[in-house]
Amino acid sequence: MIGFLEGLSEMEIISGLTVLSLLFGLIVIGGGVLFAKIAKMLFFKYYAPTLPKDTAKNFGKMIYFGIIAIAILTFTSSQGIDFSGLLVAGGIFAIVIGFATQSVVSNLISGVFLMIEKPAKHGDSINLPDMGITGTLLDIATFSSKIRKFDGTVVRIPNEKFFTTNIRSFITVARRADAAVGIAYKEDIDGAISAITEEIRHSMPFVLVMPAPEFRIEELSDSSVNIHVYVWYPRPDWGRVQPVMLKVIKNALDKAGIEIPFPQRVIWDSKQQQQ
Amino acid sequence: MNQSAPDAASSNYGVHQIYETLNLSFLHVTIKVKRISGSAFLYARQDPKGDTVETIVPVASDHLKIEVAPIRPLNHPDRRGDCVFLKFDKSIHLDKGSAMTVFVKCPIEIGVFLVNGTTDRSSLDWFTCDPLNSRFALYGQADTGILCKYSDVAVETSESFDDTAYLQAVVRITVKNKLDSGNSVSKVVFAITDNSIYYDGSKSILDGIDVTMKKRGLVDIADVKVKPIETDWTKSPTWESSTTNTIMEMGLE
Repeated sequence: MIGFLEGLSEMEIISGLTVLSLLFGLIVIGGGVLFAKIAKMLFFKYYAPTLPKDTAKNFGKMIYFGIIAIAILTFTSSQGIDFSGLLVAGGIFAIVIGFATQSVVSNLISGVFLMIEKPAKHGDSINLPDMGITGTLLDIATFSSKIRKFDGTVVRIPNEKFFTTNIRSFITVARRADAAVGIAYKEDIDGAISAITEEIRHSMPFVLVMPAPEFRIEELSDSSVNIHVYVWYPRPDWGRVQPVMLKVIKNALDKAGIEIPFPQRVIWDSKQQQQ
Repeated sequence: MNQSAPDAASSNYGVHQIYETLNLSFLHVTIKVKRISGSAFLYARQDPKGDTVETIVPVASDHLKIEVAPIRPLNHPDRRGDCVFLKFDKSIHLDKGSAMTVFVKCPIEIGVFLVNGTTDRSSLDWFTCDPLNSRFALYGQADTGILCKYSDVAVETSESFDDTAYLQAVVRITVKNKLDSGNSVSKVVFAITDNSIYYDGSKSILDGIDVTMKKRGLVDIADVKVKPIETDWTKSPTWESSTTNTIMEMGLE
């Protein structure tokens, strides 16, 4: 066994780097990766839940890659590997690789800038109008970002595109929902508004008292007087307000006996009128 | 023996020791606790709509001990912040250098706590007796403002507990004007988590607040600070401290 190891230590791959030292390096780096994974797992299990999700993810990455970097440095320094000779060759190689992997580098740098600028953070609901994507930001990783759309599917977006696109963020404290309804011309507008206000108060606990629900007569249309209803709600409660608004408005008008007319057209026959 | 009543016989607030059953009624909300086995009780709360919430509570001894007490109005319909927005029915105008003390009735919710020993309390349930008026308001702008629990309140010049049982706690508000000109106050917004709540019978009271209108640099501000009250009433357990940061792996609920 000792003889075998001595044999390996004499087999030189490049200057100063033998097969044995390479084997030792693989063990050190492998151990480092394993240790990094365990450390990351323990961090996410015991400490990450107390931190904001973004911070926890970044800390997790720092711990993981930090330990691996230390393992690599431990190996290189213990073997006395000198990288200075690689600098010139590495420089030329880097240029070649740089041209070949332009988009990869671009994504990497965009990812770094996204982490610094933080246009949105983990868990934010965002809309990318240029791409037609709306959903919850899951992660800004090294090369790409992930968004979970509201239909449950996950979209991976290269960081370069994510960085350069318009981002509409739904992170305000409160948001506004709206709905439109038409009432018959014979109905009392103030009575309809009063009925809707009262039903909203009873049925929609997440609608804000201030700013109060707002009503605008948007149009005197062919068949109806169109009322637009605007209400504000706490940002996380979109699902408890916007999807149920029309139901609540219709219930209110039904209870008050206010007609929501079907489209109708009055045809006036001028000849009959003359007779 | 069914239960031992709390100290103040006319009130549902207080510590209840339950051996078999307990029935409490709070305006339109009812609470029923009954033994379902030698080592467990069933806690049930029915709201005005008829919806029932049921929880099984295991016990180590032959009885269950709960405390029912007023808590801060921050949980219904859901917790969205720490602040309360009290809109006065009439504004208070203060000339420069003057001060005034008024009393308002701030809405409350009711907490149910499991009693362990003499001081240890763990939160079991909460509810409001006035869900219709338990609503939010936005103080400030949509992007930078604060979500608050909102209430229209009547400004009174003397302490009155009329019609407050299970609905409101009295708050003493002292307003001081240290500005160079007269100013009016028509609302107060404050983080109610700094205010302790106390009860006696079915009456409850919150720590007072001092509102000082003063200059900070070139800006006129209204500085709101808590003024703890000295009272021999029972201090309510804090609901929030034992309910925040509850994290469950795998999303168990």
